[in-house]
Amino acid sequence: MKKEKINIELKHLSVGYGQPGEAPLEVLTDVNLTAAPGEMVALIGSNGIGKSTLLRTLSAFQPWFAGDIQIGGKSLRTMHPKEIARIMSFVSTENIRVPNLSVFDLVAYGRFPYTNWIGMLSAEDRSIVYEAIEKVGLQGFENRPAMQISDGERQRAMIARALAQDTPVIVLDEPTAYLDVSNKYEIFHLLQVLAEEKKKTVVLSTHDLNIALREVDKLWLVTDGGNYQGAPEDAVLNGWLNKMFRNKQVGFDEKEGEFFFKKKFRAKVKVEGDGLHLIWTLRALNRKGYQIVMQADPDFNVIVKEDTWLLVANDTQKEFQSIYQLLAFLE
Amino acid sequence: MTAFPKNRKRPVALIFFVLAVVFVIFFIADLLLGSIIIPVKEVLFSFFPSSEANESFRTIVLEFRLPKALTAVFTGAALSLSGLQMQTVFRNPLAGPYVLGISAGASLGVALFVLGFSSALAFGMFSATGAWSIALVAWVGSFLVMMLVLYVSTRVNDIMTLLILGILFTSAVTAVVSILQYFSSESMLKAFVIWTMGSLGSVTKSQLMVLAPAIVAGTVLAFFKMKDLNAFLLGEDYARSLGVSIKWSRVIIFLSTSLLAGTITAFCGPIGFIGIAVPHICRVLFKTANHLILVPAVILTGSIVMLFSDIVSQLPGMQTTLPINSVTALIGIPVIIWMIVKNRKFVSV
Repeated sequence: MKKEKINIELKHLSVGYGQPGEAPLEVLTDVNLTAAPGEMVALIGSNGIGKSTLLRTLSAFQPWFAGDIQIGGKSLRTMHPKEIARIMSFVSTENIRVPNLSVFDLVAYGRFPYTNWIGMLSAEDRSIVYEAIEKVGLQGFENRPAMQISDGERQRAMIARALAQDTPVIVLDEPTAYLDVSNKYEIFHLLQVLAEEKKKTVVLSTHDLNIALREVDKLWLVTDGGNYQGAPEDAVLNGWLNKMFRNKQVGFDEKEGEFFFKKKFRAKVKVEGDGLHLIWTLRALNRKGYQIVMQADPDFNVIVKEDTWLLVANDTQKEFQSIYQLLAFLE
Repeated sequence: MTAFPKNRKRPVALIFFVLAVVFVIFFIADLLLGSIIIPVKEVLFSFFPSSEANESFRTIVLEFRLPKALTAVFTGAALSLSGLQMQTVFRNPLAGPYVLGISAGASLGVALFVLGFSSALAFGMFSATGAWSIALVAWVGSFLVMMLVLYVSTRVNDIMTLLILGILFTSAVTAVVSILQYFSSESMLKAFVIWTMGSLGSVTKSQLMVLAPAIVAGTVLAFFKMKDLNAFLLGEDYARSLGVSIKWSRVIIFLSTSLLAGTITAFCGPIGFIGIAVPHICRVLFKTANHLILVPAVILTGSIVMLFSDIVSQLPGMQTTLPINSVTALIGIPVIIWMIVKNRKFVSV
């Protein structure tokens, strides 16, 4: 099972689609990105910027216009599909809709590049499949129909399939789309463990930026103004994340480590208090579009005490029992 | 994908055994039953030249019923196998042997010949050349379409585009055939309509010598692509990432389908619903998506269904026969309806 650990290099790569009778549509040009063994890389960028196209090109599903993709120093262009299948496995967003297909059968697809002409599994193949199923925590699911397990479980089964393919590189197109928050974290964590333990290069695209910022080793950032790569923290400190969205109302709060939507403020408010109650009151007022100010002439004041909220405006006072009541009154 | 996993719920070997027994029973029954019912003893005797069999029984069994039963077996196996391949490659449960427009191509060939070409010449010429010429033009028609499909499939990446082109082509051919029908004489029209009703009995022993090798060749190609067919179930992206050369694999599968469906259509006419229904029967029977099981299963089940249809169509003991196409439709459609109702929704393949 030991395989050479290999690097991925995208050099001056230009990707897109050929259109019959028209000039080819270049989606991304002059992309220069790299990934090392054992690294988990998140490809991020706004909708429609060409993340999927880039990943599909990297997975050899479509040709590219210019530049080169090198895997382990060898150009992807010169490799045979069978050779690529032993180097790179792929997990797409497409849902599996095959009745009568068990989880075992699904994961066993990973052994496809290694089996004989009718796809007979050897004892070794079977043990690799069971190992992959165990690795993603799906023991006991082997005989369950793949169509009748939850989205999170199916995504884990698809990752097990990629594991069974035993490739040094795993490419995933939005593996956490359609999953709930806890499943999103589990998938990220699982991939992180795989990258680290098995020294695999994991490249995934995602829109779950807040999770990606905490979990991945490297970001590949594609924007209209160019492409960047580096640790997530580099991306924050260099202000790259703010360049991500064409919509200038979305910004990245470097201190909070979160994205936010820039609103027009409807009023200024000064808030006093402490602890968790203060933090969440600030969030609530911010959500409703009130600008929090420290000194300068606020339109009204809110004093947060234990479980009561006091609204002070123009000498009048009103007390509330919950944030919901406070906001309802402000409306 | 996996070959006979140990913990499969269905006893695969047992089902195959039962199917094989049913196949033998139906095959013998097809030889026994017909407008006259021949005793079992006489049927067995006819296979041994030295035995004291009734000569007229021997002629009926060897010259008519045996070729017809063999044709039924080849037809059922070929149409079911091409239907299975099309459902998998197009990932569409309603795809059948004719989605690529193969039967349309055959119809066009026959229509041009029977309605167009023959009307220009003396009609007598057509009847003289007989069934061989119809088979020949149908074959030419379906293989021209096949060449077109193979050419397009190496240039078009999207599988849905091919499906839509197949449907459009079929509609265009239907329109041309309607025009030809409108301008042709009554007797020619009847010859064409009879062809569209399908017939197993018109296949002669010498035609069987052409039909059989073509079907065997198509089946061998399908056997070599069983592994790739399994990969196609997951969709083309996954198939490609597993190392399947999509275009080549698709070309071989289309070649197999065209050989199977094209040859049968040429000799027996367009026979419907077997190709769509039988793969579904097998999926329910074996509860599997694995083509290593499904390919032999549809060959066996398709033969059984076609033998059964043939027995029904000749209305044992009576002098008339029903058009085989109507019988397969009446058997196939309830199966499809039953499966839609049973599964609530007709999920994929």
